[in-house]
Amino acid sequence: MLAVTLADLLYRARQFLIAILGTGLVFGLALLLSGLANGFTVEINQTVAGFGADTFVMAGSSAGRITAFVAFPQSEVLAVRHDPGVSDAAPLLLVPSLVAQTTKGTSTVVLAGVREGALGAPSPISGHALAGPGQAVVDDRLHVALNSVIAFGHHAFTVVGLVSDRSLLGGVPVVYVPLADAQALAVGGRPIVTAVLATGRPTTVPPGLRPYTTEEVQASSVQQLSGPIKSIKNTQWLMWVVAAVIVAALLYVAALERRRDFAVLKALGSSSAALFGSLLLEAVIVALVASAFAEVASNLLTPIMSQPVDIPGLAYATLPLIAVVVGALASLVALRRATGADPAAAFS
Amino acid sequence: MTVLTGPAADTGATLDVRDLTVEFNSGGYLVRPLERLGFNAGDGELVVLLGPSGCGKTTLLSCLAGLLTPTSGHIDFGGVDVTGLRGSDLGAYRRSTVGVVFQAFNLIPSLSARGNVVVPLRLAGVGRTEARQRAEALLERVGLEGRAHHRPGQLSGGQQQRVAIARALVHDPPLVVADEPTAHLDYIQVEGILRLVRQLATAGRMVVVATHDDRVTNIADRVVELTPHFADADRAPVEVRLAEGDMLFEQGDRGDLVYQVTEGQMEIFRVLADGGHETLTEVGPGQYFGELGPLLNLPRSASARARRPSVLVGYTVREFRKLFPHGLVAADELNAG
Repeated sequence: MLAVTLADLLYRARQFLIAILGTGLVFGLALLLSGLANGFTVEINQTVAGFGADTFVMAGSSAGRITAFVAFPQSEVLAVRHDPGVSDAAPLLLVPSLVAQTTKGTSTVVLAGVREGALGAPSPISGHALAGPGQAVVDDRLHVALNSVIAFGHHAFTVVGLVSDRSLLGGVPVVYVPLADAQALAVGGRPIVTAVLATGRPTTVPPGLRPYTTEEVQASSVQQLSGPIKSIKNTQWLMWVVAAVIVAALLYVAALERRRDFAVLKALGSSSAALFGSLLLEAVIVALVASAFAEVASNLLTPIMSQPVDIPGLAYATLPLIAVVVGALASLVALRRATGADPAAAFS
Repeated sequence: MTVLTGPAADTGATLDVRDLTVEFNSGGYLVRPLERLGFNAGDGELVVLLGPSGCGKTTLLSCLAGLLTPTSGHIDFGGVDVTGLRGSDLGAYRRSTVGVVFQAFNLIPSLSARGNVVVPLRLAGVGRTEARQRAEALLERVGLEGRAHHRPGQLSGGQQQRVAIARALVHDPPLVVADEPTAHLDYIQVEGILRLVRQLATAGRMVVVATHDDRVTNIADRVVELTPHFADADRAPVEVRLAEGDMLFEQGDRGDLVYQVTEGQMEIFRVLADGGHETLTEVGPGQYFGELGPLLNLPRSASARARRPSVLVGYTVREFRKLFPHGLVAADELNAG
């Protein structure tokens, strides 16, 4: 029956190609969705890790979420720095949503005020680090050039360095400026911060504050996005269902067209199981080829997404397995056609 | 049923059909294309099943090929009770004992000529190389060695029929059944196919051909006519008297008379597959019924029963035509009346 199956695939190549394209696109979208969901996590992990701290001392009411705007006096930094468990400490003022004017137009950015040359200051991949007031290091997602100007109202900054993979809240780029500049433009110059970055683990912290490890900050910040991530993953499941429906529709039409073939094959001695196996094999082949097409298509489609997309390697590895399951389930729709074929109908 | 015997049968597998009856549900109605059919044939014979459409030829072939289980009766081929086979034994019979040539060829369109011929062997578990070699040898035997790689859509009707015959022969079955092998062919192709069919019937192989073309009987060793010929029957009209509730004839019966009601009333009804019945019409004095079966050599399509004590006259087809020389139109006008 293998030869019969492969011959039928070739005979109906155009029909199967259309189904492969459709199913492949759906698989590709599902991969993209898994990348989007994973992208939220990867984005947060990279950006939080990028501050280079072992511990984030933050207000207890922030629950350790990096974007929680719960500020406290900058003077608390000294207490943390002098703790015997800490070797270095620096302030961080993170403002989750500000509107900036760039050469590309208006953009929403996350503003990170850091001490120049201290813990938390970014290391650019091009240009140079922050060296004084009026300077900014921005994520390349903002698509601005070195030495261009980024302005927050009447506060203007020169872009002196570019970093990569520094964004939060689903692709909102981070703009790093000197702490004093951030305090001036965001909180009217008040000496407040939202976190103390520390190397080591403090033995005690000032009242109202709590120490969080990098991992705790990452996990808590990701948990904040659990709703959107769950929605994306649910949509991903729907994509598998749509893929199964496409393959099932193809199989059903093929089974209808092959009714007489099934009757003839049964008359020649084929079993119902062998006929169903032929349809099952066709469905699995279509789904597997579609999955290969999807892995290419998803990489081609990733650049059009404005949010970070990080398709996990496991998704690529499991896609063929999912394709086999999708194909197998889809073939059930044609089960009755194959097993119910009456060999006597070959005479009619 | 008429059976013409031919030359004495040789040794080898013989075919014995006894009291074969097939009933099935057709659109809710009970249809009985075969009723208590019986005949036999010997090894090496070319048996022709002759009859018009609807007389049960294809049904009989389906039973011989193990594709249809009859309602009752027996088929014995080469000592094997075909009607008693089930499951894997039935599958083995289909794969190894019988080769089938279907009407309209029924080749798998996605397979080449060679691919189609290989299928029965591969289903029987023959290895790929051996199956291919045997297929090519058979295609050469039927004159298609240059067409092995062509798909059915690229072959003429005659060539497709040759591929179908090669497929039926490739596993060397002792019984080959062919359904209307000359249908859809021009006269040149018909000659070639009939020559081939005649050659197939040799010692060790019986060929059973179903056809409505009575020219094929000229090459047959044995002819089984599935319908009697009523058109030539010639006898005087016969009077029939029925009491209320008496059956005149039943659905599926073979009859040679057309009836006209002289007195009383007859109910014409159909028996349904679930055992119920559906009244079609009632006929009274001066009206006729039951003409199509005898005219077309078909079984009675309905039953007739007396509603009241009735007197009818039964006419043969010849006598009925004398009554209505202008055909059924005149007769229908009488019934409409």
